[in-house]
This record gives sequence, C-alpha cells and structure tokens, in this order.
Amino acid sequence: MATTFILNGKSQTVDVSPDMPLLWVLRDTLDKTGTKFGCGAGLCGACTVHINGEAARSCQTAISAVAGKKVTTIEGLSANGLHPVQQAWIAEDVPQCGYCQSGQIMSAVALLAKKPNPTDADIDDFMSGNICRCGTYQRIRKAIHRAAGTPAGQAKSA
Amino acid sequence: MSSVWPRRAFVKSAAVGGVALLVPFHLRARLNHDTNGADAGTFAPNAWLEISANDQVRIWCGKSEMGQGVRTSLPMIVAEELCCDWRNVQVVQADLQPRYGEQLTGGSLSVRTSYASLRKAGAAAREMLLSAAAAEWGVDQKECYAALSEVLHANSQRRARYGSLVARAAKLTASPDPPLKSPSQFTLIGHPTPRTDTKLKVSGQAKFGLDVRVPGMLIACVERCPVFGGSVRSSNAEEVKKIPGVRAVLEQNSVHLTHHFGEESGPGSRNYTCASVAVLADSTWAAMQARKKLKVEWDEGPSAQESTASLRDQFQKLLAAPGTVMRNDGDFDKAFASSAKKIEAIYEVPFLAHATMEPMNCTAHVHDGKCEIWAPTQIPGAAANSVAQALGIPRGNIQLHVTFLGGGFGRRLIQDYAVEAALLSRDARAPVQVVWSREDDVRHDFYRPASYHVLRAGLDASGQLVAWFHRGASPSIGVFYNGTGISPQGAAEMNGPDFPAFGIPNMRTEFVLAQSGMPLGYWRSVENSGNQFVISSFFDEVAFAAQRDPVELRLAVLGPARKISLGGDGTIDVGRGRQVIEVVAEKAGWGTPLPKGTGRGIAAHFGYGSYVAQVAEVACDASRGTLRVQRVICAIDCGQAINPSGVQAQMEGAINFGLAAALKSAITVQNGRVQQSNFHDYEVLRMKDSPPVIEVHVISSSEPPGGCGEPGVPPIAPAVANAVFAATGRRIRRLPIRSADLMQA
Repeated sequence: MATTFILNGKSQTVDVSPDMPLLWVLRDTLDKTGTKFGCGAGLCGACTVHINGEAARSCQTAISAVAGKKVTTIEGLSANGLHPVQQAWIAEDVPQCGYCQSGQIMSAVALLAKKPNPTDADIDDFMSGNICRCGTYQRIRKAIHRAAGTPAGQAKSA
Repeated sequence: MSSVWPRRAFVKSAAVGGVALLVPFHLRARLNHDTNGADAGTFAPNAWLEISANDQVRIWCGKSEMGQGVRTSLPMIVAEELCCDWRNVQVVQADLQPRYGEQLTGGSLSVRTSYASLRKAGAAAREMLLSAAAAEWGVDQKECYAALSEVLHANSQRRARYGSLVARAAKLTASPDPPLKSPSQFTLIGHPTPRTDTKLKVSGQAKFGLDVRVPGMLIACVERCPVFGGSVRSSNAEEVKKIPGVRAVLEQNSVHLTHHFGEESGPGSRNYTCASVAVLADSTWAAMQARKKLKVEWDEGPSAQESTASLRDQFQKLLAAPGTVMRNDGDFDKAFASSAKKIEAIYEVPFLAHATMEPMNCTAHVHDGKCEIWAPTQIPGAAANSVAQALGIPRGNIQLHVTFLGGGFGRRLIQDYAVEAALLSRDARAPVQVVWSREDDVRHDFYRPASYHVLRAGLDASGQLVAWFHRGASPSIGVFYNGTGISPQGAAEMNGPDFPAFGIPNMRTEFVLAQSGMPLGYWRSVENSGNQFVISSFFDEVAFAAQRDPVELRLAVLGPARKISLGGDGTIDVGRGRQVIEVVAEKAGWGTPLPKGTGRGIAAHFGYGSYVAQVAEVACDASRGTLRVQRVICAIDCGQAINPSGVQAQMEGAINFGLAAALKSAITVQNGRVQQSNFHDYEVLRMKDSPPVIEVHVISSSEPPGGCGEPGVPPIAPAVANAVFAATGRRIRRLPIRSADLMQA
C-alpha cells in the first residue's frame, strides 16, 4: 500500500505494508541509515526522529501513521550537518562509538524546541529515554547547555 | 631565523637519538597500498601512511573504532613523528591485512602495543622527506627540520611542502631505525585533540555494521535455542518459507568459534553450539515478522537444569572446600587465628550482558570459494579464522572489511555473528546480513561470569591489617574457550598480584572453578569488574573495623613508593598508585564534612599499564531505598597520554559503564534460559542516574602509555558501595545495589 509523507522537506511515497515501522522504511526502503535500530521496543531512543517537529521513536511508529506528516531524520536536520545542536556536539566532542548519537541529537533538538533554556533536571528528564552505553551523558548535558546558551549545572536535579 | 617559522614544531633530527623498539618494524614496499586505493604518484613508505602531491596525508588505523577513539589516538602518533599538518590528515580504517600486524582491539592494548611502531612509521617517512629536501637543496640533512607538512632549512630559509617532495622521497629507502622525537618536542601527543570521527557521527553518516548494503543482500533473523547447548528437534520451516518475502529458512546446529586472541596464536577455540533456525527475507521487517511465525521444538540438552539459584547453591558448596591457590604469602591461617579482630564477609556479583547499542550483526557474501565479510568486530583475524574453518576454505580466500562498531566492550571479541552470516550466505547462495534483535543480544551474549566470594581479614591489637584471605568461585572464561584446567598462570578468574598483595604479611587467595552452561566472555575489564568490587569493598570494611580512614589505610598497605616486578613485562609502580589515590582524595575534599545522608567512598584499580583511583559521592534516602551518585572524581595515570581529551572521555564512559553494573544490571537464569530480554528488564544506566559531575584528572607523565578503555571501570562500583556505607551505615555486598539493600536496618 502506498503511503505519502514529507521526508526531510521532500514528498516521499513508499509502497510497503502499512504496519511496517517508519524505522525500517527509512533504513531498508529509503536507505536513510542515520536513524538507528537499538531495541525495537521504544526503550532506547536510538531510532528517534521528528514527526511534525515532535520527537518520536520510529521503531514504534507504523508507516501508515505518518501519512501526510513531516518526518525529519538526522540526515535532514541541516543542509550541511551543522545545526546548532550538531555544532554543540562537535564542540563538546560528545560521541564515542556514536551509534546512539543520531537519536540523542534528534531528542535534544526536540527538547530545545519545547524548552529553549532547559535546566539539568529538564535535560535529564527529557533525555533519559535515550540510552548511551559508552556513557557520554555528561558531555550531552554540556552540549545541550551550549546549544541553548545556558550555563551548565544550573538547578541540579536532586 | 624568521619568527614566522613554526618553532614549536621544531624537530632537529640530529638531536634525537635512535631508540630501541620492542615491536618489530617491517619495511613495506611502497606499492603496499594498491588494494587500499593509494594513488600513483603518492608517497607511501609503509603500511600506515600516504602523502599525496597536494599535501593530503592519509593515515590508516589498524584497530577497530568502537568509541574508544583509536581513529584519533593512533593516527596522532603517526602524525606526531611525521610532523605533518594534522588538519590535512584523513584517517582510513584498515581492512584485515597482514601488513597491519595484530589487529585485535581489546585488553586496553591498542595504544600500548602500537605506540613504538607507529612512531617509527611516522619518523621513517619524515626522515625520507628531510633527505629528499636536503638532496634537492644540496644541503646537509642535519640542517633541515620538519614541521606542519613542510621541510625547512634554517640557514637559507628555504622551505618545501611535503607534497612537492613525494616523488623524490618515494625513490628513497626507509630507515629501519629512524630517530624519534623526545617527548618535550611533541606538538600533538599529549595535547587535547578533537576526535576525527565526530562529524560523521553527528550527521548520521558513520557506517556501522548494520549500515552495510550489498546488492542482492538478504536479511537474516535467527531464532536461537533459548537453552545454551541445545539443538533443533523439528521446526515448521517449510511453512514459514511460503510467507511472501521469505527467501529461505535455514537450520544451523553448530557454530564453531576459533577464538584466537591474535592472528595465529591464543587460548584456542571451541565448538560453540547454538542451534538456530534462520529466516531470510528481502527486508529486515519481513524477516522479523516471518520469524515470529516460526515454531521450533528444541532438544534443550543438559543446561536446561541450570538456574541462578542452582549456581548459587553450587558456589556455596564449592566455597566450603579449598580452591587452587593463586597467592600464598606468610601463613594466613595462623595469623588469622591469632588476630585480635576478625572480619568476614561474603560478596557476590551476577552474570552481565554487554548490551552494545548496535545489536550484533554481520554481512557476508560467499561466492566462488571465497568470502567477503563486512563486520563490526574487535578481532577481524579471529572472524576470518572462524569463517575459514566453518566454510572449509583457506583463510586467504577471505576478505574482511571492518566497519564502525556501535560499541564493543568485549562482546565483539567473539565471532559467532560472523560465522552465522557466512554459513547463511553459503546456504542461501546470496549476500546475507544477519540482524540480531535486542532480545537476541541480551539472551545470547557471552556473559561476564557470575561469582561468589568469601573474604576474611585479621587485625592485630594495634589495628594493623596482618591477614587477608579471599576465596572466589566462578565459572571460567578461560576454561570455556580452551578447556584447560585452572592454574595460577591462567584460566582463573582471580589474579594473584591484586591489591592488597605485597602489603600484607599473611595473605592467601584461592580460586574455585564452578560449572555452568552459560557462554562466557570478556566484559570491559573482565574479572576485575567483579573482583575489584569485592576487594575494595571488603578493604573498606576492614578500615571501618580498624577504625582507620580508608584512604590512610590503603596508602599504609600500599607502602612506600617502589617498583614491584610481577615477572614478564608486569610491574606495579607503587609511587604512581599512591599518587592517583592522593590526588583523587585531595580533589574530592576527602575528610571534609558532608550533609546527613550523603557519603564518600574510594576505590582504585592498578592494571592495563595504568593507575586509576575514584571517589564517589552519593546521597541516599534510606526511607525510600534510593540513591543518587552526585559526583565522581577520578584520577588516572596512564603514562604518556596520547590524547588527554580521549583519556578523559574513556574515564567518563568507564564510570558510567561501571555504574550500570553497580546500580542496574543483572542477568539471571531459569531453566537454562536468560530471563531478561530488552532494556526494560536488563536495565543499563540512563542520564537521570548518571552523576551530574564527573571530574577527571589525567596525571601528566612521560612513562610509556598505559591502557585507558578498561581501567576506569573496576573502581566505580566499590567507590559507590563504600560511599553508601559512609552515608547510611549499610554495607553493600552484592550487585547491583537494590532498594532493599539500602533500606535494611
């Protein structure tokens, strides 16, 4: 069944089973491999994309649910890979293995859209759905503060 | 001399003496790079580097990048001696090739074992460029120096870009023993340097194993026997084959693992039986959906009786009898019997899974008696050995490409996924990518062994620690792979030289081998991950019983600064160990008061050629059974740090990785099956549980480089457990820390 949606600003039609998760449409059908498979259960955040600007777990989103909607992936976040959040990630040298970082960045961008000046508690709360096994959490916090222009360490969570 | 010349990068070759090198340096013909696509007209004096006429420098990384930063640190070593402009360096991942030497990535060894040979590779090339320029100018090479990809002649103020010298340099012969810089001349090594792969990793362009795409590739999802060592009795394979999109359903009964810890040698290999039924389809989703329709009847085999409870019973029975003696100083029994104060405790840690963020996967294409492999692997050589053996083809018929690894932590030292992919490709007659689900990953890992420990210590009347006994029981990784018996030299899960050895007159450690059907493997810091929790926690108990400060007692037991030879290459430099403890205590404000309900704990680990100490500060709410690690201070002396920023990142990462084991993770077994399946029941650390502050102090040192991937892991669990005791008076003797352990009176 054909589904049409807007992927990174361009209209995209795919002819796949309507229950196929967006993650696999992106990775297998459209060869957009920047969005990662981590758990298949919405538990790790590696597959995070934006649907109409909101962070969503693409492994838990059937393709039929994005018909007519705007989907943004890491590849579409900026034309040159230099969105302010990506720049902050570079400045803080955040990634280690890097596998989770597409999802981390997509979540961080969504957080900053909601809360342009997040506290540490806001960051911890929003970002705890994204697992990083390499343990880059301290640098992610710093990078989000950097992108927001807020000082790190304010209003520490208890 | 012109002031615009880069004085800081000054290298006067004549001033640097030759240095004896431990690692053999093999000169390579400059055509070596033909399969890596080196262009004609470039200067490629050895396997590691190539300079083009337009000054571009390519440096090959012979180790696997799994987050630890080898694609930055290793090229930095080459670039340092090459005196090239780091901004123009392009790092290339080496495929499996003999010319890169040992490509095993593990044991926190990459920098340690590459440092000398990579320096030499860079220096040899630099000397050839110097020689080429000197010849062109008709001057003495000793008057020339190299900096930022230029050769400069001070007296005449002439300069030449490396690119302009490649044709002439390529005609020269490399020196097998080029002069090396002195550390005081380093402009790159020891300077915090951004990673070379960050832009790829923040833009979704980095290619991991799961991102490999081969034309005509099928995706395989594999149902494995839930009990280790079982086999397939029957399945509805024929029925599942008829599902649209399914191209094949294949049964596999045994995967042979050649577990070489190196190219040609190592502990050995074993037949690892993991019976499975694989569903191959055109897409991942189709394969996953069809797999759900599989109905397999398994012969579960003898391991179906195993459970966490039965293993614990076994541990308790085993520990009643003596084990293999790993260390025996003085007379523990006598000293303990006459001790004024006796302390005894039992500790235990569970099996752990690695849970790399990128689930296991591999892509293989078997055709015409050959096999091409794309693998996120820590040992490409072992993957090729295992596949060659499984397919019955010569090792030389295997071509292996190393992708980025979405985490390793030791899981990708074991090559089961590569063998699976190759056998399925052979049987399906198509390129195959094996894609593990997270459930597969959690349930079919090679686990950090569970272990159980009895400890006893004796204090004399003056509060001196005079007797220490540690008997640990565990299944053994060494036995799992090579089947040999336990000996003090190997295959045990305990180490004789571990702290507090050399500081206690009467000390005995023993290891008891337990039987388990669980597949075992190397989990970041291996046996030290559990043992250091046991040792440093019990040591804290001893300090409390002696009414002595844990830092003071630890320094007292370590004794004065001295070097203790462990035989072979092993040495403990007590002075360096003391320093990291003293630094971390000072930086943490050790001994200064903290609010009620909060506490500090300290632990240390000396190993992998490095010295690490950590202080954790925790806040506990005993009424709710919660704790928060508020702050971790870490000091590391890893000798000459190549990239201090990378060392810092490895410490941060190791602390978070160790905190997962301290606070969250456990694998348990029932009826031979792992009970956990995904991140809801195999919990790992999330941001909300990660300390607001991790402060890392990298000790400045020009000692030979030590390892950084693993040594930051062992101290964090005991540091936290000891902090919990300081905060609450509750002693943590098992991991992970449970709410009940915090609430018990």
